[in-house]
Amino acid sequence: MKKRPIGLLVAAALCMCPAGAFAQKKGDAEAAAPADGEEAPADEGEGGEGAEGEGGELPEGEIPEGEVPGGDIGGEGLGDICEIDPAACPKLDFDKEAAKDLNEQIYAVQQLYALRVRRVELQPYWATSLNDQFVNHPGPGLALNYYITNVLAVGANFNYYRPFNADSSFNAQVRRAARVGVPLTEYDWGAALNFTYVPAYGKFAGFGDFIFHYDAYVVGGVGAISTRPIPVIDPDNRTFDFEPKLAFNAGIGFRVFFTRWFAAILEVRDYIFSDRLENDDTSVLEAPNDPLNKDNWYGDNSLTNAVQAQLGVAIFLPFSFEYRLPK
Amino acid sequence: MRKTTKKTMRRLLVGLTAGLALAAVGEQTASAQEILLTGPLAGAPAVRKLRLYREGRIEVAPAISFTLLDEYQRTMLFGARINYNFTDWLALGVWGGFGGLKLNTGLTDRVQEVNQSRRDIEAQRPAGSGPSVSRRLTATNMGPKFEEQIGTIDWIAAPQITAVPFRGKLALFQNIYLDTDLYFFAGPAFIGVSERKECDPDAGKPCQSDDQAAYAREGRVAIAPTFGLGFTFYVNKWNAIGFEWRGVPFARNTGGFDNHGGGPDSKFPDQKVNADDRDFKFNQMLTLSYNFYFPQQYRVSE
Repeated sequence: MKKRPIGLLVAAALCMCPAGAFAQKKGDAEAAAPADGEEAPADEGEGGEGAEGEGGELPEGEIPEGEVPGGDIGGEGLGDICEIDPAACPKLDFDKEAAKDLNEQIYAVQQLYALRVRRVELQPYWATSLNDQFVNHPGPGLALNYYITNVLAVGANFNYYRPFNADSSFNAQVRRAARVGVPLTEYDWGAALNFTYVPAYGKFAGFGDFIFHYDAYVVGGVGAISTRPIPVIDPDNRTFDFEPKLAFNAGIGFRVFFTRWFAAILEVRDYIFSDRLENDDTSVLEAPNDPLNKDNWYGDNSLTNAVQAQLGVAIFLPFSFEYRLPK
Repeated sequence: MRKTTKKTMRRLLVGLTAGLALAAVGEQTASAQEILLTGPLAGAPAVRKLRLYREGRIEVAPAISFTLLDEYQRTMLFGARINYNFTDWLALGVWGGFGGLKLNTGLTDRVQEVNQSRRDIEAQRPAGSGPSVSRRLTATNMGPKFEEQIGTIDWIAAPQITAVPFRGKLALFQNIYLDTDLYFFAGPAFIGVSERKECDPDAGKPCQSDDQAAYAREGRVAIAPTFGLGFTFYVNKWNAIGFEWRGVPFARNTGGFDNHGGGPDSKFPDQKVNADDRDFKFNQMLTLSYNFYFPQQYRVSE
C-alpha cells in the first residue's frame, strides 16, 4: 500500500512526456541513442578511438569527478538529478557526443525530394525572345506535362504572342539611315506536343543555411506557330494574315523546388520553323498596275530559330505522393 | 524503517524530477527533427565534411565569351578569369577578354549588299546627273564599305567581386555526380570599343565622301558596370567547368550612323556623327571556361 503513491506519482510524471517524443521512427531512435543508458559502442565514431586514452587522460566521453555533465543542454534540472542521486547522473558529455562522426546508414540513391512519376505538371510561364533584335515576341504560355516515369514526360504547351509583339526602334533607324528595309515578322500563337526528359537533379545549400532541390531537363517536340510579316517594304498596299506553320522545338530547362509540388522554372526553347518573309521587291517593274496582287507580297522562305526564355512556375498534381520504399 | 522511508522519498524525488525534466525537454521536441537538433546534431553545421573548393585558392580560368543579340557584329572574346578566393563564398579578381573573332550578322551583309548595288548603279549614271536620291540620303551614314564602319568591342577588362551563396551537387543520369556552385559577380568594366570617328562639317570634318576615310573608326575606352551569374561544375579536386552570363550595359554607336542630335529632343539626324548618336545597349554575353585551382588540394570542412 505504501508503494502505491510513489508508483502513481512516477506514472503521472511519465504521462507528462509529450506524445511528440515518440515521433521518431523506432529504427532511428535505436541508432541515435543506445537503450537503457548503455554506453555507445567503442567502434562507433571518433569517440570510440579515444576510449583507451593516453598518459592518464580520461577516455573521451567520460566526465571528471565533480563536474556536472550536460549542463549546457539540461540546465539546472539535470544538475539537480546528479546532486540528488549521483548514480542516476548521465555519464555523457553532449559536446563531445555532438562532435562524433555519425554512423548513419547511407543509401546509394537517397530518396528524391520530389517524385514526378504519375504526376501532372502545370507550368504557367512568361516568355521573351532571346535572339530577335528586331521584333521582341514576349507573351504568356502554359505547359501541361504528364510524367510516365520519374524522368520522362509527355505534354503540350501553348504560347500567346499577338498583343505583345514589340517592333524595336532600331528597325526604323536602319530604314532611315541606310534606306534598307529588314523583313519583320510578328507571331500570333504557338502550340506543340512535347517529350520531356530529366537527366539531372541535385541540391544546393544556400548561404550554408538552407537546402533547396533542383533538376534540369531537356524538352523537344513538334507543333505549329502562327506568324505573319509586318509590312515594311510596301506598308501602304500590303496587309498580311496570320498563317500557321509547322514548327519543331528543342530546349533545356531548370526547375527549383520550393515544396514537393511547387517549383520555379527557367527554360530556354528554340522554336524552328520555315517563315514566309515579305517580298523586299515592290514589284513596280514586274507588275506596275497590280501592287495589291498578293502573289507578289511574299518573298523567300527563311528557316527561323526563335529562341525564347520561359520563366514561370511548376505546380505538380496531386500535391502529395508516396515513396515506394521508406528510404 | 526511517532509512527506508528516506530512500523511498529520494527515489520519488528523483523520479519526479526526471519526469519533469523530460516533460520540459519534451515541450520543445514535438517533432523528430527537433529531437535531432537537440541531440548529437545540436549545433552541427548544415553541411559537414564540405569540400572547400574555393577557400584560400587561386582560380585561373581560360574562357571564351560569346556576345548575344548583336545587331551588326558578333564577337567572340578570348580571355581568362583570375580570382583569389578569400573564403569559400567570397572572391576578388579580374575577368578580361580580347575580341579575337568578329563575325558580321546577316543584317550587315544585307546593308552592304544594298549599299554596293546603289554604288554600282551610281557608276552607270550619266556624268553630271548628280547622285541618286538614295545615295544622297545615305551619304552621311554609309561609306563604300559598311562593314568597316560598324562599332566593335575590341577588349574588356573587369575587376570584380564574386559571391558564392549557393553550393550543391548534381546527379547526371543517376550515374555521374558533380559538385557545383552558383555565384554572382559585379564590378566596373573597362571596354575598348571602336566606333565611327566623329565628324562635323561645320568644324571642317566632313561626314560625306567617296573615300572610306570619312567613315573610318577610332577607338575609345568606355566604362560601364558589369554583373552576372554563373555555374561551376567541379570535375576533380582542382579542375572545373564554368558557365556564366554577363551583362555590360553601355551606350555605343553600333552602325556608325547619324541617328540623333537634331530636331525636338535630339531625336533626329543632325548631319554630324558624335556622342549624341550612341544608343544605350544592354550588351550580354555567355562565357564558357575551364577553371584551374591552386593549390591543387582543397580543404574539407569539419
